[in-house]
Amino acid sequence: MFSEDFVRAATRRRLRRGRRFALFVGLGTGLVLVGLLSIPLFLLGALLPGPALPPAFGAELARLLAGSLRAAVCAMLVALPLGFATAAFSAHFCAPRLRAWLKPALEMLEAVPTVVLGLVAAATFAPWLKLHVATLLAAIAVVPAVLLAAGFALGARVRDAGRLPLALLPLVAATLAIVLAIGAQRDAAAVVPASPWNAALVGVALGFAALPLVFSLAEDALLLVPGAHAQAAFALGATRWQALTSIVLPAAGSGIVAAALLGFSRCFGETMIVLMASGNTPIGGFDPLAGLRSLSAELALGMSEAAPASGAYRALLLAALVLLLATVVPNLLADRVRERLRRRLAADARAA
Amino acid sequence: MLNFELGPPPSPAPAEHAAAAGPALRVRGLSLWYGRRQVLDALDLDVPARAITALIGPSGCGKSSLLRCLNRLNDENADARVSGRVQVGATDAYAKDTLVHDLRRRVGMVFQRPNPFPLSVHDNVAYGLRLLGLRRRRELDRRVEAALRAAALWDEVADRLDDSAFELSLGQQQRLVVARALAVEPEILMFDEPTSALDPAATLRFEELLRELAARYTVLLVTHNMQQAARVSDFTAFMHQGRLVEFGDTDALFTNPRERRTEDFITGRYG
Amino acid sequence: MNRQRTAAAGTWLIAGLTACVLGALCAFVVLLADAGLAPFWPAAVEAVRLHDGREQVGELAGGDAAAIVLRTSEIERIGDGYRRLPRAAIAARTRPADAIALTLADGRRLFGRGGPAQAAALLATAATPAQAVDLAQPNALGALARLGAFARGVGRFLGTPPSASSLIGGVLPALLGTVTLVLLMSAVVLPLGVATAAYLHRRRGAGARVLRGAINMLAGVPSIVYGVLGLGLLVHGAGAGIDRLFYAERLPMPTFGSGGLLWAALTLALLTLPVVVVSIEEGLARVAPSLGEGSLALGATRDETFRRLLLPAIRPALLTGLVLAIARAAGAVAPLMLVGVVKLAPALPLDATFPYLHPSRQFMHLGFAVYDSALASADAIRGVPRAYACAALLVAVVVVLNLSAILLRNRLRERYRALDF
Repeated sequence: MFSEDFVRAATRRRLRRGRRFALFVGLGTGLVLVGLLSIPLFLLGALLPGPALPPAFGAELARLLAGSLRAAVCAMLVALPLGFATAAFSAHFCAPRLRAWLKPALEMLEAVPTVVLGLVAAATFAPWLKLHVATLLAAIAVVPAVLLAAGFALGARVRDAGRLPLALLPLVAATLAIVLAIGAQRDAAAVVPASPWNAALVGVALGFAALPLVFSLAEDALLLVPGAHAQAAFALGATRWQALTSIVLPAAGSGIVAAALLGFSRCFGETMIVLMASGNTPIGGFDPLAGLRSLSAELALGMSEAAPASGAYRALLLAALVLLLATVVPNLLADRVRERLRRRLAADARAA
Repeated sequence: MLNFELGPPPSPAPAEHAAAAGPALRVRGLSLWYGRRQVLDALDLDVPARAITALIGPSGCGKSSLLRCLNRLNDENADARVSGRVQVGATDAYAKDTLVHDLRRRVGMVFQRPNPFPLSVHDNVAYGLRLLGLRRRRELDRRVEAALRAAALWDEVADRLDDSAFELSLGQQQRLVVARALAVEPEILMFDEPTSALDPAATLRFEELLRELAARYTVLLVTHNMQQAARVSDFTAFMHQGRLVEFGDTDALFTNPRERRTEDFITGRYG
Repeated sequence: MNRQRTAAAGTWLIAGLTACVLGALCAFVVLLADAGLAPFWPAAVEAVRLHDGREQVGELAGGDAAAIVLRTSEIERIGDGYRRLPRAAIAARTRPADAIALTLADGRRLFGRGGPAQAAALLATAATPAQAVDLAQPNALGALARLGAFARGVGRFLGTPPSASSLIGGVLPALLGTVTLVLLMSAVVLPLGVATAAYLHRRRGAGARVLRGAINMLAGVPSIVYGVLGLGLLVHGAGAGIDRLFYAERLPMPTFGSGGLLWAALTLALLTLPVVVVSIEEGLARVAPSLGEGSLALGATRDETFRRLLLPAIRPALLTGLVLAIARAAGAVAPLMLVGVVKLAPALPLDATFPYLHPSRQFMHLGFAVYDSALASADAIRGVPRAYACAALLVAVVVVLNLSAILLRNRLRERYRALDF
């Protein structure tokens, strides 16, 4: 037996060490809390009376907001169809070997710094797009049409769709090559953008950046649907596609909405791509071929120039507050939606 | 602490078999709720010192929950609420000035499945000693060896003390867990169905160990295996729906139960 | 039958779109590798003969359907040698073996034809004199020599500081700045993350739920907002305060009151905190609960269990989280633009004079170098390839970090297979 004294001394020592650790935990958590709270509090501080805001601040803010919105909407037009299609394929059709490559590849893309995507958009894609807007539009129309037609004609013969994308890669590439070749033959651009750096360009780059996020969230939502649901549909003679559209998609619907919300929020707040590919011209309106300036780009460029405690500085803080609200609200909504979906599907899985 | 509002008074009288030195563990009017579900209902029990007391009863009767009350492991469960008295030796387990971690050191516990830490064999046994502040290598080695010998494991692991504990067989892992508990010099050892994950040979080996341990420690054994209770225990307590139905000398209880429910259970009529 | 065909068409559509994504990924990788490495290959020197009899010698720098752009000798300053030659005016383009390319110390390039004597004459044509640092006949190089030149180019890029115009020379300071920043950030975020995870581990009430929710929310805040916070609170708030207290004799020259390494590291630490906390929590969730119970039953307190058993057991998860945080921080450029990254820093944040690490100094950063070279350099034709080179390096760093995180995660799974009961 340990002696009373030994146990008492050990206890004292442990309590002392425990207090030290509690101090460390308390300090660390406290610092984190300060950091957490300082974001909204600091920005809300700009609402207090302060130096006069620059004239026409409201109109300027509206233009920036419209710019962010235009960029985010264009990006969603790229990211949602591609992201959802890839997620549906990966969750429902994909051969495991292909999936073992597809997922990490998209995870890697998510890790690519956005400044790199901005560079590709601004330095390589912009000069091409300036001349070939019509070609891009044609490609967007033709590629899906060719795929649908080919699927309608030949698809019934293919039993296993697990590796279909690899087989379709040449078809897609050939279609694109033909469209590009026809486009390159025309001397004058059929559609002339107002600026070589415009919302469409931002949309493509930003959509590419948001693609992995939309993909992984949508795939998670689809995989949450209990397999028994799809099995039941198969038992009734449904094809994989029918099981997907009639059973799995409706069940995962809110999760997919959440993926779209989070993707939108990410695009709305993204800075570097917009900064590099948007032309940074404060133009309002909704023309996808005109330049734009977003809230985030304005902050990145203007904040270090503005003198602290000036009206311009306060205006920028207000812009940051608007940006924060516009990204956090969709995030909160998406969290609620996802939580509800998870609970419901967990209950389903128990019942199944 | 006593709770008079809930349930009738305890039905069976406390056993009169308490050893001469007095019970090592005395439970009075112990009730336990998980949320709104009552698991133990005004339970009284005296556990005799230096003997094996088996706790039997149908699954869900609260045997394991009782163990978790005795070393206050239920404190970690935010849902759990306890009322009643538990006395370990001279200490009131639920008194305000009782140090929970010292109580847990004195009341060792071995779980259903072996749960060695992801450390070496040596460090598993030394874990509790290091918590107590023992640092000197030689003293640690000495105590680790003593604990492993007491758990009848030393001969098998003497030359692989630095191997990961996961490389041992399940039976060896369970004895390692016993050694880990023995190292911090407990007074009472509680076993929660310790052999349910082991094969028959390892089970027999473990039961031998239990008999050896009973010479020095007070042993409380929860088991769902009636033969095991009959084989190894000195005393047996039969629980049903959160209450103690009958407590007595094992031979007497199994051959001549006083209560109808006990008889039904040990003859396999329900459970 | 038609139903079957429609289903097949739908399947083909999403499979084809998946193929588009795969193709775009491949194209992106190829483009980045190609454009990122292109600047290091010795460029061929072209001799272009025009219909009017003149001959221009230089490197091909660009072009379109109507004309080509040739970089000819830069006589006065860098970037003044570009000639736009209409394709209609060109009689012949050749790559003569005797073409010589002379590189001057300030980055200017001079082109001509002939041997050493002509090279000396060529040097004399420079209006602003400078030392010649490299003389080559790029067209005459064999495959091995070209490879050697490529390797030297990469080495110079990684190992030397840039010139004053930041158009030529290497990116060593940017690389060092990125690494120092990220290390400093790790030193801040790791203890904070561990402390927060410990708090979340031992408190399971409403407070912990709120904190967890807030940290998740932190992950969705745009990175530029962190920059605004860093500038407003740290630089203008804390930094200015420190200056008034400790560096009053140097005011109005700011010491900590302008953007610098320390403030950037703190900003990024807040930015990456969710990654670390989530990783630790995921690691803890994977540890079987019986392990913690075993420790508690031996008389360990919750804190001791966390510190002595759980934290060591989830070390791989901790490391994974840290690596992912580093990868995220290495790619975050926008907030840095507000808290101290500069195009050309006068001094490194890390050097041989005491106290070796200078947290108040401004620093250079690879990501910012990409942005700056591509959009804000004096010579766009040199800037874009340079930006691509920086981008390829940055992506390489980030991908290597992420791959190591994935490998760690896999090792972690192996390990926990033994722990899952």
